[in-house]
Amino acid sequence: MSIKANDPRLTQYALGEMDPKDAEAFEAQLDATARAEIESIRAMAESVEAEFAGEASSELTDVQRSAVVNAAAPKRTPRALPYWVVPLAACLMVAVGAWVYSLATAEPELYVDAATVAQDQREQILFTQPSEDPSVAVDGVTERASSVPVRMPSSDPVASEEVEEVELLEVGAHSAVPVTNPAAKNVESLRLRLLTYPRGTDLHPNTEAYDHLVENGFVAVGKRDVSTFSIDVDTASYANVRRFLMQQRRLPPPDAVRIEELINYFNYDYAPPASDSPHPFAAHVEVTGCPWNSAHRLARIGIKGKVMDNGKRPKANLVFLLDVSGSMDQPNKLPLLKQSMKMLVNNLTENDRVAIVVYAGASGVVLPSTAAANSGAILGALERLNAGGSTNGGAGIQLAYDIARQNFVKDGVNRVILCTDGDFNVGVTDRGQLTKLIEEKAKSGVFLSVLGFGGGNYKDATMEQLSNKGNGNYAYIDSLREARKALVEEMGGTLVTIAKDVKIQIYFNPAEVAGWRLIGYENRLLAAKDFNDDTKDAGEIGAGHTVTALYEIVPAGKSLPAQVDPSPFQPTPEKKEKGMETRKGLLQLRLRYKQPDGDTSTLMETIVEDGGGKFDTSGADLQFAAAVAAFAQILRGSSFVEGITLGAVEEIASSSLGADKGGYRAEFVDLCRMARQLRK
Amino acid sequence: MRTHERPLMRYATRLLGNVESARDVVQDSFLKLCKQSPEELDGHLRAWLFTVCRNRAFDLLRRKDGQMGTLQEHEPAVEQIDTVAAQEESGLVRDQIAALPDRQQEVLRLKFQEGLSYREIAAITDVSVSNVGFLLHTALKTLRGRLGGEVAPASGRNQS
Repeated sequence: MSIKANDPRLTQYALGEMDPKDAEAFEAQLDATARAEIESIRAMAESVEAEFAGEASSELTDVQRSAVVNAAAPKRTPRALPYWVVPLAACLMVAVGAWVYSLATAEPELYVDAATVAQDQREQILFTQPSEDPSVAVDGVTERASSVPVRMPSSDPVASEEVEEVELLEVGAHSAVPVTNPAAKNVESLRLRLLTYPRGTDLHPNTEAYDHLVENGFVAVGKRDVSTFSIDVDTASYANVRRFLMQQRRLPPPDAVRIEELINYFNYDYAPPASDSPHPFAAHVEVTGCPWNSAHRLARIGIKGKVMDNGKRPKANLVFLLDVSGSMDQPNKLPLLKQSMKMLVNNLTENDRVAIVVYAGASGVVLPSTAAANSGAILGALERLNAGGSTNGGAGIQLAYDIARQNFVKDGVNRVILCTDGDFNVGVTDRGQLTKLIEEKAKSGVFLSVLGFGGGNYKDATMEQLSNKGNGNYAYIDSLREARKALVEEMGGTLVTIAKDVKIQIYFNPAEVAGWRLIGYENRLLAAKDFNDDTKDAGEIGAGHTVTALYEIVPAGKSLPAQVDPSPFQPTPEKKEKGMETRKGLLQLRLRYKQPDGDTSTLMETIVEDGGGKFDTSGADLQFAAAVAAFAQILRGSSFVEGITLGAVEEIASSSLGADKGGYRAEFVDLCRMARQLRK
Repeated sequence: MRTHERPLMRYATRLLGNVESARDVVQDSFLKLCKQSPEELDGHLRAWLFTVCRNRAFDLLRRKDGQMGTLQEHEPAVEQIDTVAAQEESGLVRDQIAALPDRQQEVLRLKFQEGLSYREIAAITDVSVSNVGFLLHTALKTLRGRLGGEVAPASGRNQS
């Protein structure tokens, strides 16, 4: 049954206003025409929203306002604010953005006051977020935030929309009280109560976009004995998964979980290359038992980039390309962005330079390239940013790269840092054009970092693709703590690229391996012939970065988990691979990389043997990485990890915390626990 | 109060066609809020404020004209500074919105300017949720039709 163009449900669906159950049923009925119709409705809706965002609005007179305040005053004791003042105070955070147009154009003194108040409020909330327990600690707001049960039944469309907003107050709060079994009446009252919380300007609260990933399956060595992929140092998916679990209290959509990004979020204690090593990184392979299938082996490839002190880092020429359009006008977007970039600026050395380009209605250069020694000017420019307006992301990118080129530092760090929620004005249909633009710009020697902010309308797919094409890295910033990790603790890795187009290739020895499966990296796979092809782009690795890849290996003589029946015409491995058979070793690891400014690749290779190690006795790093891999696969609904439960994963993780500087691993254990509860 | 002041002013100014009356209506709404018991309003404060504001506005219009008020066109006080191209585009969209029936304009604004949900809009404008859906769908469909096939996608991500 086809859906007619005059069916109002098309709009309801396009705007994310449909009950999830109905939406699912509706989705099933959609044909290509209906989908095109929905896209067109969304595009129109955004035009309308942009149009409205440009309209100014008046205010009450001061006299009128005082009258209202006075009328409210006698009703309360000095300490107890009227019940609606607290949510209103929080609402101030959001309110500023709705007024930005006026800020720029109308009587400034009227608005600056309110904007300052709101700014203070935001800063308080952001700054009082302790690293151990990131719950909000602002008086009153805390009380409010934790007294409001934020766990809403996911089947409720209004609720799922509102949870997004509560999250702004929570800033990653672990202390929110989940409501179990709310009575129907209760749900209604909760929903209504939540309506007073700051509401963002997201047009489609449920339009987060993730590319679909097909999980890598087992490959029989007889069919293919070589695996080739690009490295990936991105970590964005982990922070995003954490946002779903800890803030939204729901399981992430499977395609939001990129296994390798979860694994690579954590630091592993691999040895960096020796100081006299010709290579910018060192590779380590360890083989152990597979925790979810005792018949299988788990091979871990660990890569560690050379470490660079911030003081010894080459001069940096940075261009901040900041999205200040309307959709960034949310407390977990622009204010967090400002704080994050300030944090980065405060850690630059005086030889570094920063320029700031914004894109929105008044897109352009906010700050020409400025020496970091003059950090006051940079911080001031950041402080003055306001969200609002229509967007031209393409022009902003062009401008940012131009400035980076103009201030190019030879042998230095030349990088555009794009901060956005990824919802580019050029639209989904133009994503290809946008990546083409970035790809072209990457050839100029300027690297790209993408920092993702916010949720609800988060375009993960666009951002990941941009960073991949732009010689870049990609992190998701959901809190100041995450900003500190990406921009301060791992500053070297984020800024200084030590090798580019890093490719990994593994040859499995048919004498010891029956089949293999690469865990994750689904969207980083390369054809075997691409390995030696220096024109084929691959991932970058930054100073001090660690990259981890895991293979699940079926030892020779064991049968592969049934996926397809073996072909009767397939030559047996023994016949096909006579040469390898005589050599010892489980696999051969091959790596290719280019110097950051080089065009030809260097090859590294080594043969790895299986020492027969057992999982239980292997190192904490390997155990922890395996736990994260299992966790990610369970969230993706993988059939390969049926041999392990989230409980067991939690156990492995909590016994392999190691030194856990920063408490990141401990937090992962919390995630396991939360996922376990949510799956019940 | 700061949070709701501007959205309410924007809404009331639309309904009444002038800022002075809008100020009175919004002030009235806030004063009425002060007399409410918190429990009664808990949670649906915003929808409540819009509803009261709307009722007051229509009361005022009825008193003035002896008839139901209508949405009136007024030029935004401050023009957005933007590129020439964007202005042309936005001008077009603005004109087409202004050409829509009042009812549709009102619902369009509550949805896309104030970010209210279907449910809240239904409560404020005193119609059913499905009616809100119908009005919005029709409004967007008309706009798309009038602005031509290529306009919407091209300017579609204006509001990034």
